[in-house]
Amino acid sequence: MQLKILYFGMIAEITKCSHEILAVETKCNSNQLETVLKKKYQQLQSISFKLVINQNIATKTIFLHPDHEVALLPPFAGG
Amino acid sequence: MHKKKTVFIEGAITPDFIANSIAKHQTKKSIGAHNIFLGQVRADEIEGKTVQAIEYSAYEYMAELQFHTIRENAFEKFDLTCMHIYHSMGVVKTGEVCLFVFVSAPHRKIVFEAIEYIVEMIKKEVPIFGKEVFEDETHQWKMNTV
Repeated sequence: MQLKILYFGMIAEITKCSHEILAVETKCNSNQLETVLKKKYQQLQSISFKLVINQNIATKTIFLHPDHEVALLPPFAGG
Repeated sequence: MHKKKTVFIEGAITPDFIANSIAKHQTKKSIGAHNIFLGQVRADEIEGKTVQAIEYSAYEYMAELQFHTIRENAFEKFDLTCMHIYHSMGVVKTGEVCLFVFVSAPHRKIVFEAIEYIVEMIKKEVPIFGKEVFEDETHQWKMNTV
């Protein structure tokens, strides 16, 4: 299946794009997606980021769906 | 349920904007206390280089949802008459204001508590990102300490 993934801040700098469509296996879960992304973008292994699904931070493993809006967020810096 | 409000402002938040915002509250006569927090871009020195500006970006859709939740929670926790949050997007130079939080209530004590709560929640929960640009145009990414 295909997933749309959004990148922000220093992560967009690493991926060199603000979003992309990524082909992943059907029944891919959030942990597996993280592994795929860390393999594709090795710099992600050394920084802290949050995986967000439909604007909610994934605190447990979630099965992904093509309708999900997935985002990778670097540390926040508001204020 | 309070209405959704625009939070993001392109560039710095000007002293005029802040003054106008204060003036608009003079018609609300149940208010006895205002409290204001202003975040200003600091010229941090990192490894011999000085920050000259922060360029803000955000996951805007999620940020607006988070700002809305912070507002709802603050109104629930504190007896506030009104609350305004403005945050910059794009480039803000050192010395300029990037965050303006304004709370008003009938009495003083809760505005102190409310402003601290709101500012801390913004720093912790809202997906805003800041690129600290140095004088030589190199940069690093800001991270809030929570």
